[in-house]
Amino acid sequence: MLRLRFHGRGGQGVKVASRVLGTAAFLEGYYAQDFPLYGAERRGAPIAAFTRISEEPIMERGVISEPDIVIVMDKTLLYDPRIMPVSGLKKGGIVFINTPQSPEEARAEYKISGQIITLDITKICLDILERTILSSLAGAVASKIAGLREDSLKEAVEKVISEIVTDRVLIEKNIEASLYCFNAIPPVELKTAEVIQKGSGVITMPFETAGVSSPALNATGNTPLRRTGNWRVFRPVWNYDACTRCMICVARCPDGCILVNEDGFPYTDYDNCKGCLICVEECPTKTLEKIREVHAKKVIGK
Amino acid sequence: MLTGNAAAAWGVRLAEVDYIPVYPVTPQTEIIETLAKWISDGDMDSKLVTMDSEHSMITAAGAASATGVRAFTATSSQGLMYGFEMLYTVAGWRVPLVMVNVSRGLSSPITLEPDHNDVLAARDSGFLQIHCETCQEVLDSLLMAYRLVEDEQVLLPVIVNMDGFYLSFTREPVEVPELETVRKFLPPYQPRHAFFKASQPMAQGVAVLGGSMYSYFKYQMHLASQNALNVYKEVCGKFEKEFGRNYDTIEGYMLEDAKYVLVMTNSFSTLGKAAVNKARERGIKAGLLRLRLIRPFPVEDITGALKGRRAVAVIDQNISIGKGGILHSEIASCLYNEKQRPHLLSFIGGLGGKNISPGEFEFIFDNMIKVRGVEGEGEKTSQLLYTETEWKEMARLKGIAGKG
Repeated sequence: MLRLRFHGRGGQGVKVASRVLGTAAFLEGYYAQDFPLYGAERRGAPIAAFTRISEEPIMERGVISEPDIVIVMDKTLLYDPRIMPVSGLKKGGIVFINTPQSPEEARAEYKISGQIITLDITKICLDILERTILSSLAGAVASKIAGLREDSLKEAVEKVISEIVTDRVLIEKNIEASLYCFNAIPPVELKTAEVIQKGSGVITMPFETAGVSSPALNATGNTPLRRTGNWRVFRPVWNYDACTRCMICVARCPDGCILVNEDGFPYTDYDNCKGCLICVEECPTKTLEKIREVHAKKVIGK
Repeated sequence: MLTGNAAAAWGVRLAEVDYIPVYPVTPQTEIIETLAKWISDGDMDSKLVTMDSEHSMITAAGAASATGVRAFTATSSQGLMYGFEMLYTVAGWRVPLVMVNVSRGLSSPITLEPDHNDVLAARDSGFLQIHCETCQEVLDSLLMAYRLVEDEQVLLPVIVNMDGFYLSFTREPVEVPELETVRKFLPPYQPRHAFFKASQPMAQGVAVLGGSMYSYFKYQMHLASQNALNVYKEVCGKFEKEFGRNYDTIEGYMLEDAKYVLVMTNSFSTLGKAAVNKARERGIKAGLLRLRLIRPFPVEDITGALKGRRAVAVIDQNISIGKGGILHSEIASCLYNEKQRPHLLSFIGGLGGKNISPGEFEFIFDNMIKVRGVEGEGEKTSQLLYTETEWKEMARLKGIAGKG
C-alpha cells in the first residue's frame, strides 16, 4: 500500500489535492481512500489530508503517521513545530516541497534526510490559473510521484474540479496546470518497505485531581507570539510618494495589521499581515503594490 | 469515490424523500449542503427548510412524518443533545422518520472527532439504531432504514449512525444504485395511521394521565422495536436479492473457528479486522463480531455468535462515566444465563477519535489469552486503551497549560 500525506493551509486546496490523487488511483483500478483532517475551518490554518492507494482492500482508517510520500504545499509549515510535515516519513520515502529552491537548497534549509523533489507550483498556478488554489497541481505532482498515469490524472482533475466549479475555462486551466506539473516532475523510484510498528505499551491511567485534570489553561496566553504573517503568498509594499494618508487601508484591513507611524503614514505589521491584499485593492492612489513573498527579500532587502 | 456524508445524501436522494428540515453541525453539514445543492439544481424534488435549532428541526421532521410524508434529517453530537427532548417525543408519535447521526465526542472538553456517547445517549429513546462501518453501508442503510421503519409492524423512527471524519469525510469507492432498482426495493410510503387527509381530522401525540395508559403506550413501542428484529431480517433478505449486498444485524469476521473474539461497532471495526488478520498470522484463533443493529438489540444473534468462545473483548468507543463501556454491559446481560459463556473483557478505546494502534489490539489479545481457563478471573472494570507515548505527550501538554 502507498500512503501519501499532504500538508498545506486552509484555502490552498489540500483536501481537493488528496481527492485528485484518490480519484486518479481509483480510475486506474486501485483501491483508494482519501481523507482530510482539520479542526474549526479557517483560511490559513494548517491542514493535512491523506490518500491511501492499494491493490488490496484498504483495512486502515484515519491519519497516516508513516507516509511513503509527503507533499508540502506550503513550505512555511516546515518551520512549524506543531505540524512537522516530514515526521514519520518512511526510510526511502519522498518529500515534495512547493518552492522555487532546488532540492539541494531545500535540503540544506530544512535539514530533511529523505529524497526531495521541488517545483514552484505556486508560480505555475499564478501563471495559468491566476490564483493560488493549488489542488490540481499538488494532486498532479502526487500522481506522478505515486507512479500513476497521465490519462488517469487528466480524467481525475476533470471529474473532481467539475464537482466544485462550473466554469469550463477554469476546469480546462486546471487540467492544463496539472498536466504541466505532472510532466515537470522527473520519474522517480520509491524505495520504501512496510514498517513494522514498534508500538508503545498500554498503561493504567492514574487519578489526578481536577486542578490538573480539568480542561482549563493556567498558563498565560501565548497567541500574540504566533506570527500569522508567515504564510503570505504576496506582500503589500508601500511607496509613500503617492500616499495621501486617507486611512482607507487602515479601516479596511480585516486583521488590524496596518498601523500609523509618527508622521501619520500607515505601515504594515508584516509579522501578522496574512497577505489578503485588500489594502492594495482599496488604496485610491495606488500607494501599495504586491510582490510575491519569495522575491520580497531580494526586492526590499529585508 | 464518495464520503460518508455524500453517501448519506445519495441514500436520501434515492429514497425520494419529501421533506428535509436542517440545521448545520460539524461533521454532518456536508450532508445537508449536498442535498440543498441538488434541490436547488433541480436534481431532487424535495422541500428543504433551514430551522432555528435541532430541537425545532427534529420536531419539524417528526411532525412532517406524522402528516404521512417521507422525511429525513441529520445531526451530530451537540446538535443531537440539543434536540434530545424531541427524540423521545417523536418516537412516541410512532412515525417512520429516518435521521442520520454523524458521531462526534461530547463536550466538555469540546472536540470534533468521533466516539459514540452521542448516539448511545439516544439508546433508550425508541429510535432504532443502525451503525455503519463503510460509506457504502451508509447509503445502503438509509434505503433499508426507510423500508424497515415504514413497515406496519414497526413504525418507529430510526437513527443511521456513522463516525465523523473517519467516515463522514473519508472518500472510498461507493456503488450508487439505479433509481429504478431502488424503487423496486423501496415503494412509496403508504401511511396508515398518521396522515393529513381532507375530512378526516385526528389528534396525534395526545397527553395521558395515569400510569396504566402511559405503560401501555411505552410497552407498545418496545414491542414494535422487538418486531423490528424479524422485519429487519426480511428487509435484509430483500435488499440482498436486489443489490447483492448482505447486512445482517451483526457481522462476523473470521468468526467460524475463532476462540478469541473482539466486539466492535462503526468505522473502527475496519481496524479491528486488520488486527484479527495480524493475530491470525501470530497463530491466534482470532475473530471479530461487529454490532450493526444496536436498537433493537439482537440478543439471540449475539448470544449465538459469542457462546462457546474462550474469551470475548468488547471494545467500547464510549464511556458511561462511573460504570465503563456501555455495550460491554449489554453484551454481559446477553450472556449471563448462557451455560457456555465466554470470559468477558471490557476495553474502552477510540474516545474522541483516538486511534487504536496495532499494539493496543495485541494488548487486548494477550489479555484474552491470559484469562483463559481461570474461572471467575474476568475483569471487573473497563481498561482504557491508552499508551505510554500518549501519556507522555499529555504530560508535556499539561506542562504547557501551566499544570506542571
